[in-house]
Amino acid sequence: MTAAAAAIEVRSLSKDYASSAGPVQALQKIDFDVPQGAFVSIVGPSGCGKSTLLQILAGLLSSSSGQVSVGGTAVTGPAPGKISVVFQDATLMPWKTAMDNVLFPLEIQRIPERERIRRAEHYLRLVGLENEVQRFPHQLSGGMKQRVSIARGLAQEPQIVLMDEPFGALDEQNRIKMGHELLRIWEATGKTILLVTHSLTEAIFLSDTVIVMAPNPGRILEQLVIDLPRPRMYDVIGSPAFGNIRNRLWRMIEIEPAEDEAMSTAPAL
Amino acid sequence: MRFRVHAVQAIFLACFLAVWEFATRIGNVDPNVLPAFSTVLRTLAELVRTDAFLSNAAVTTTRVLLAFIIGAPLAILAGFYVGERAALNARLAQPLNVLVAVPQSMLLPMFILIFGVGNVQKVVFGVTHIFFVLMLTTIAAVQSVPVNLVVAGRSFGATSTEIYRRIYLIAMLPLLVSGLRLAIIFDVIGILLAEMYASQSGIGFLMMRWGDDYRMKEMMAAVLLISAATIGFNEMMRLWETRLSAHAGSST
Repeated sequence: MTAAAAAIEVRSLSKDYASSAGPVQALQKIDFDVPQGAFVSIVGPSGCGKSTLLQILAGLLSSSSGQVSVGGTAVTGPAPGKISVVFQDATLMPWKTAMDNVLFPLEIQRIPERERIRRAEHYLRLVGLENEVQRFPHQLSGGMKQRVSIARGLAQEPQIVLMDEPFGALDEQNRIKMGHELLRIWEATGKTILLVTHSLTEAIFLSDTVIVMAPNPGRILEQLVIDLPRPRMYDVIGSPAFGNIRNRLWRMIEIEPAEDEAMSTAPAL
Repeated sequence: MRFRVHAVQAIFLACFLAVWEFATRIGNVDPNVLPAFSTVLRTLAELVRTDAFLSNAAVTTTRVLLAFIIGAPLAILAGFYVGERAALNARLAQPLNVLVAVPQSMLLPMFILIFGVGNVQKVVFGVTHIFFVLMLTTIAAVQSVPVNLVVAGRSFGATSTEIYRRIYLIAMLPLLVSGLRLAIIFDVIGILLAEMYASQSGIGFLMMRWGDDYRMKEMMAAVLLISAATIGFNEMMRLWETRLSAHAGSST
């Protein structure tokens, strides 16, 4: 890929933790690029450092060594307006309505009021929640909360959206449905998306490239280009090509096949 | 449903007052020990028209408010400081929770030795009554703030001030209001107690004197007034608490 087109560049990134059992290497010499407008997923078993990596990219955690740059500038802290994060378990303010939750980061970022409201309404409509804007999080289902969270990420109109297991709390049916919806939104907005997930099916279904990580120390095993045609529909998940890729990934990270079996049967809905 | 709960509460209160009223009328209870409710109410109506009672009530109110204005911010700041520091909290939580079990009222003679018998001693006594309970609730409130909301706030580009004001404060509010409610009640207890012992002013002082003189009508009138005031305040705060936790209490 051409260097100028990279939205995210990671160069020999390492992260060490001090723990009671001595120093732990959470990330060891991570190198990868995410091209502008690409959909890239990071998969791996728990403890492989994928969430740590995402937090470093978001500027929420410092690295021990190496470089991370986003859009050509080094990441030193949160970059509001440039990078937004969609968190695990929605992470909405329980005292704010769906609308106010989406407005909150825009208020923090001093976006003029009219523009704030325009964006919040636009993105809540995009995720299909135009009738739920005045509801509080506890009045929304898990899937709806996650959609508010995605609308909140997109409404900041960043170049890059980082997603940390955004569908982890959802059941399989909703997980695939939301993934499909995310593809539609991604195609409509042209954002660069980096998604962390532990679901191989989700990663393959959504991504241009799947980055496979392994634990102890957290490192990249392989970067797999997914050449399945786009636009992708649910039924691609049942295709032989899809199955081949998934099997390859399984063998690579040696997770229990049973753990992922449920995900391969779910999309038959 | 809410209405029915209120109705049951009103009926309960009415029964209580009726039993009080008729127990003394029928003669089962000596009216010199416990005067009838209607008598106490009439006495109260007369009392609140006397300057002596009003000036003493004003003295007590001032002491209670002064102790609150000094004690509440101190306790909240201390609680915040400790709650934010895990290591400090781990070291302090255990001894603090053990110490709150000690009835502070026992130490009144020591307060008199140190601070004399004036306003200072009474206000300080009130402040100590507020401090521990409110500090402990503040620590609990700080720790109830979800870390992931704070991380989200940082990713939006919020400054520390914005995070404290717009995330911490609001997430803490239900528990904080609950702490303030308890603090005021402890405050009133502390001030009244201090006024009852080696004192020349305040409602506590009046009640003690009436008790010594077998003037139960007046003493019970004061009890009725203070109870009505603290119950009214308590209910107001509880209503606020319920409203706050309607949304904040349920998880994300």
